[in-house]
Amino acid sequence: MSGCSTLASADSDPGTLLVHTQLGTTAPGSATYTAVVKAFEKENPGIRVKNLVNGDDLPQVYETSRLARKEPDVVMVNLYDKTLAWTDVGATVDVKGYLDDWGLRDRVLPAALTEWTDGKGRIRAFPYFATNWPVAYNTHLLDRAGVGSVPTTGDQLIGAARKLRAKGIAPVTVGGNDWTGQKLLAQIIQTFLTPEEARQVYTSGDFSGSRGARAGIDYFVDLRDAGVFADKAQGLTSDTMTTQYNTEAAAIQSAMSSALAKVPAKAAGHTEIGGWPLAPGAAHEKPTILRSYTLIGFWVSPNGTKKISTVEKFLRFMYRPDVVSRFITESGRDMALVTDTVSKDFPLVAEAQQLGDRVGQALLPDLYVPPTATQPLITATSTAFTRGTSAASVRSALESAYRTA
Amino acid sequence: MKFGRSWLPAHIFAWLYMVLLVVPLYYLLVSAFKTNDQIFGSPFSLPTSLSTTNFTESFSSAHLGPAVLNSMLVTVLALVLTLALAIPAAFAIARTEGRVGALVERVFSLGFLIPTFAALFPTFLLAAATGLFHTRAFMVLFLPATAMPLSVVILVQFMRTIPREMEEAARMDGASTFAVLRHVYTPMCMPGIATILLLNFLTFWNEYLYSLVIIGPDPEQRTVQVALPTLKSLTGTDYGILTAGTVLTLVPVWAVYTVLQKRMQQALVSGAVKM
Repeated sequence: MSGCSTLASADSDPGTLLVHTQLGTTAPGSATYTAVVKAFEKENPGIRVKNLVNGDDLPQVYETSRLARKEPDVVMVNLYDKTLAWTDVGATVDVKGYLDDWGLRDRVLPAALTEWTDGKGRIRAFPYFATNWPVAYNTHLLDRAGVGSVPTTGDQLIGAARKLRAKGIAPVTVGGNDWTGQKLLAQIIQTFLTPEEARQVYTSGDFSGSRGARAGIDYFVDLRDAGVFADKAQGLTSDTMTTQYNTEAAAIQSAMSSALAKVPAKAAGHTEIGGWPLAPGAAHEKPTILRSYTLIGFWVSPNGTKKISTVEKFLRFMYRPDVVSRFITESGRDMALVTDTVSKDFPLVAEAQQLGDRVGQALLPDLYVPPTATQPLITATSTAFTRGTSAASVRSALESAYRTA
Repeated sequence: MKFGRSWLPAHIFAWLYMVLLVVPLYYLLVSAFKTNDQIFGSPFSLPTSLSTTNFTESFSSAHLGPAVLNSMLVTVLALVLTLALAIPAAFAIARTEGRVGALVERVFSLGFLIPTFAALFPTFLLAAATGLFHTRAFMVLFLPATAMPLSVVILVQFMRTIPREMEEAARMDGASTFAVLRHVYTPMCMPGIATILLLNFLTFWNEYLYSLVIIGPDPEQRTVQVALPTLKSLTGTDYGILTAGTVLTLVPVWAVYTVLQKRMQQALVSGAVKM
């Protein structure tokens, strides 16, 4: 029956490069990706790129394909959760040699190379998309509430939240029930942690054993109970967060570049990009943001190594400066590659790109959290954003996430 | 027709039930014409525009056209196979009076005890071992297997209500066993057949997990339930487009349900007269 053309698999054509991707439908950057793939096929008449599109379930689908030895040649996905284990278990190959042989190493930002390199010196994938994760402040709403400037300290933030609430405006909106809340919580916990201490805490899950982590959780609880976060934040998601900010129902959000690109022109016109306010005695000198260079990379599968010359052509094309620029100018994406291009149609994304040393940087914990603890940590995040939960209970919930993993 | 006061609670519950069914459908339909901000800002308000942009965008970006065709192919072939297997099996069990027949009937009933998730990994291994991984053919074979317990149990009950005299009369006219099944049992079991067709159509059409893992994400092969979630993105879902895509995929379900429901009612009435 496998020979029946109507019902059979069609994935073994040697002239076809199979790319498993999350781009291709409505995800930010999809239109540009589809267009550049067409341009690649036009330049390389003998090669056809077949995109296999999945959403959030891509890692699961790829893993089952790999188990059956029928995996696609290249995978475009972020370094997070399940994918952290791929290189180790041989689901994808170390691309360090290819990166050097093809002369593409210089195209990659050094920070991106560091993040994509594992503990054994292997480079898990070819870095591609990055993201800035700053804090967006609606200055129009702050003005309306009588807040003269963007808050840079915890006390100023609490004061601003009180004034905003008095005017019926939600202060900081956040998806307390999903990954956006998890990232903001991690950022606030790191207020009193150096990057090395943060790395240790998020690797071990020992939030009680670190004085800095305890102080960071206390700071978070103080902010939460002072009404800094939107009502019922523990039940909100990234979608409700962006909607509250975009419709100007909330004045502040911690948003990654893809969310900043979607802020409507009206709200974007009076949005100022900055960092998260610090408490006295913080380990950072300036308000912090998150940055990640692991948003999307090109992973090469064992099947991909059998078509490595085609993979090389594809990756050389995707790394070309003109192609990289298209993702910035057309889709407002941040790239993990060296480029001078700045987005003009996405002013908030550009503003975030130019923050430079005006802000401090907190550690994105994704690379250090054990894959099995990722989802339990999001559940614990919801507990943390629930008003009245003590700092001890928050620590306990976070530590339980590591224990159940 | 006049109703007394005693009917009032029944009316209230009937209307409440209707509201429970209609509100989600209304929400789905109006969301298909809105932007994200409108969906979250005023979820139950009427759309300000009846633009079909969300529909065309969902149809083209998720390649829903081929996906609907794939779903139809898999569903129709699986339904045909289910009927081809379940009708003779039920016929044999219904006519058997010995212990073996009872045992076989119980074996079919045991199928209800297998949880869907528990069978996923062995099924995946089977697909890989048979070389049918990443094919729709495997799903055409697999779906009837999952539907057999319910289908056989329902059909056996219908066939047991058919008087033996009907078969004896056919036999006296020289009918073979197959002719008895074809011309006596099958027509008289149309209510049961329509019922299992309807139930299995809904199950097969809406199947997601196995289609995702076994058929995979290839746009030329994937079913509509696998294509639809590609409109959802962790870094920003356009729910207007997603709900528009959902509405589009519901149209075939609605059409088949309407047709089969009517046929089922007709078959029920005609069956009652015949018997």
